[in-house]
Amino acid sequence: MSTGWARRVFPVAAAAVVLAAVPLAVGGSPYQMRLATLMLVLGCYAVAFNLLFGHTNQLFLCVGALASLGGYASVLLVRDLKLPAVLAVGLATVAAAAAGGFLSYVGVRRGFGVLFVGIVTLAVSLMMHNLLLGLRELTNGETGIVTRGFGVGLGDDPRRAYYVLWAVLVTSLGGYRWLFGSPHGMALHALSEDEVSAELSGIDVTRYKVACATAASGLIGLVGALYADLNGFISPSVYAVGHVDIPVLVALLLGGVRTLLGPVVGAALFSVVDELVRPFGQLTVLAYGALLVVLFLLFRQGVVPLVEQLAARGRGSAAEGARLSAPPASKEGVAGGTGR
Amino acid sequence: MLEVQDLWAGYGDVAVVRGVSLRVAEGEATAVLGPNGAGKTTLFRALVGLVRPRRGSVRFEGRSLEGLRPHQVVRQGIAYVAAERELFPQLTVLENLELGAYARPDGLRERLAAVFDLFPRLAERKSQRAGTLSGGEQQMLAIARALMGRPKLLLLDEPSTGLAPRLVAELYRRLDLLRHQGVTILLAEQQVGAALSLCSRVYVLKNGSLAFEGDSSELRGSSHLHSAYLGGS
Amino acid sequence: MGVILDGLVLGLQLALLSVGIVFVYGLGGVLNLAHGQVAVAGGLVAALLVQARQHPAVAGLVGVLAAGLLALGMDRTLLQPAYRRRGEERLLLALILTLGASFALDGFYTFRYPNLALSLRLAKPSVEVLGITVRTASLAVGALSLATFGLLLAFLKGTRLGKAIRCVIQNEAGAWLCGVDVDRARTVTLFLSGLLAGVAAVGQGFFSFLGPDMGPEFTILSLIVAVVGGVRSLTGTFLASLLLGVVNAALSYWVGTYLTWIALLAVAVATLLVRPEGLLAYWP
Repeated sequence: MSTGWARRVFPVAAAAVVLAAVPLAVGGSPYQMRLATLMLVLGCYAVAFNLLFGHTNQLFLCVGALASLGGYASVLLVRDLKLPAVLAVGLATVAAAAAGGFLSYVGVRRGFGVLFVGIVTLAVSLMMHNLLLGLRELTNGETGIVTRGFGVGLGDDPRRAYYVLWAVLVTSLGGYRWLFGSPHGMALHALSEDEVSAELSGIDVTRYKVACATAASGLIGLVGALYADLNGFISPSVYAVGHVDIPVLVALLLGGVRTLLGPVVGAALFSVVDELVRPFGQLTVLAYGALLVVLFLLFRQGVVPLVEQLAARGRGSAAEGARLSAPPASKEGVAGGTGR
Repeated sequence: MLEVQDLWAGYGDVAVVRGVSLRVAEGEATAVLGPNGAGKTTLFRALVGLVRPRRGSVRFEGRSLEGLRPHQVVRQGIAYVAAERELFPQLTVLENLELGAYARPDGLRERLAAVFDLFPRLAERKSQRAGTLSGGEQQMLAIARALMGRPKLLLLDEPSTGLAPRLVAELYRRLDLLRHQGVTILLAEQQVGAALSLCSRVYVLKNGSLAFEGDSSELRGSSHLHSAYLGGS
Repeated sequence: MGVILDGLVLGLQLALLSVGIVFVYGLGGVLNLAHGQVAVAGGLVAALLVQARQHPAVAGLVGVLAAGLLALGMDRTLLQPAYRRRGEERLLLALILTLGASFALDGFYTFRYPNLALSLRLAKPSVEVLGITVRTASLAVGALSLATFGLLLAFLKGTRLGKAIRCVIQNEAGAWLCGVDVDRARTVTLFLSGLLAGVAAVGQGFFSFLGPDMGPEFTILSLIVAVVGGVRSLTGTFLASLLLGVVNAALSYWVGTYLTWIALLAVAVATLLVRPEGLLAYWP
């Protein structure tokens, strides 16, 4: 009994320890600390997106928009309503959670398919972007807002920023682990395979999807708010689709959908690649495109499942292997199918 | 006319058709019987190229069909009427039929006339949208459309599905007529009776492999059919 | 009044893009997220030729062709892995692959031709028609778009290949069984969608100007219009394009850019909420 529990917690603990050690490895370089922190931010977004798209089929292409809601709400609440920073961040998180939950509810009730949800949320993202640009008196439009003094002080202390995000990421990973170890995990697994069958088996699909969307959106909003603080500056383009949603999508696919550590590994890889490609300037975007295509064709399942397979083969037994992933998904989805 | 040797086909990792061999002689009507899941539909789809066979060979009039895309198989002279019928619901009966002759557009008028002769009900519904036809009429349209391509071999997958017994009898009468006109027929059926009345040779499929092959007269009274459908040795 | 006309012309431009996307979706079961970049390719080629002192008409024609060829190339190479799969898997794989391609193309354009733009000017800036002053550009672009649609319609209804394409949209398996080479039909469709996109880009060059970074905007607009119109219906997409074009023009005239975008998107989302299938769900 206790060994089962320890085994389940092990990956989360291992990841936590490794990530906690990063600042030590990086030394005092503020630039690299910032990179590492940004990697954690991306990792959190990816964990949320994993829950949304990977497990409940909700292609929410509005991660950036939800993050911007969290960011702008928390900053404006402090700047204009003089609320204490922690409360502001809390309220911003709730706002994002509510928004995401609402979108999910509408989508489920109206029976929207994956593609549909994607396009509708994309439209919502663009609306949000233009809203932020348009409400110039409030948001300063494209010029943006300097957030120093409007947050919990993460902008001043890179170390503190890193460990706060670290705490958020580790907690979400723990939450994920707990969720999929619980009976809810079975329900979610069934749901991601076939929603109709799940519904007919007595699983309240609406409730699960909306709950997951709400939790994930709350996480996104929270991280968006924290990012506003640690970045020292926000503007609509900071949260644009190209800057948030695309990297999150790539990171998750790279790392492995529907796995525990996929989002983290993907975020790390993406951040590294991002840095390597930076000197190329405009060619960066080209490199991304080519990379995306090549990687996706070669590593269909993502890095984490690939590593798992190699590890299992090396260990000689197929059924064992450190359970780095949620219940195995035989779904004919993006993460490797039966090629029907 | 059609020679299938040791055919293996399936989806993903699952082999549905396991080492099936069969022969259809010209001008004959042959039946493939078996319960649901025996692999009849997959077999037919593999013959036509909608599913790629893993192993084995298919030869039509001496030529191998290996690697051919479905539209090329159709152009060789094989027509396939799927269980789902695969009609064009938004197009009219007439338009569906005209499309049936897409690969060989010559002699369209004559064939339309012949087909309407065979299925007068379709002539009445010429301008009606295919999606609004009844089940029986859709079945007739599907067969008629297949005939528009002037096939030498007609594959029918469970043509009696969803049809009232009277209509089934009518359908099989027409199939017999076709056979006399020189069309070779290979059909798959769950309903044994009607198929046996039309077909001279019979193959029984069970779990993907052949459980019986022979003349239909042999099959009557044998235990093979019983065991194929209801289990047992 | 001139605003409405401008809106209709804008709508026609949108229609060129969206119809192309819906076409490809209906036939190939894939959404090409690099559609905007295909259009831009056409515009950039035309711009290069204009720079090289070629006649604008020639430049435009070659540009349109280039866009078509780019789309064709994508079909034959990039999309092949997607075509090997079915249904939702095919769609999702194609989304990722074309997304990657869109980045690659975008990066290439802005890197190699950051300052290149297509901008064609006509001799007379405006003309009096029935007492209303209209921009000559609007008339020209409108005429160009209509002519293109006319050609497309003639092709679809008149030729054998056109008929084959129409039936593949309705039932792919049925089309195979009628002896239609679905793969070839698919390739032709992609080529056509590229041509349409090219015409839209060249038209944009007349209307105002076309820059190398306009790809994403084109793609997103055409996607939204396509979904509002009903992804399986060409007529629905056409109507939705006109509607959104007019709304866009009218709003731009009275309120600011941002509000226009928001209103447009709100209209789109509202339509989807009310009729998720789109304005016209099926092929007419």
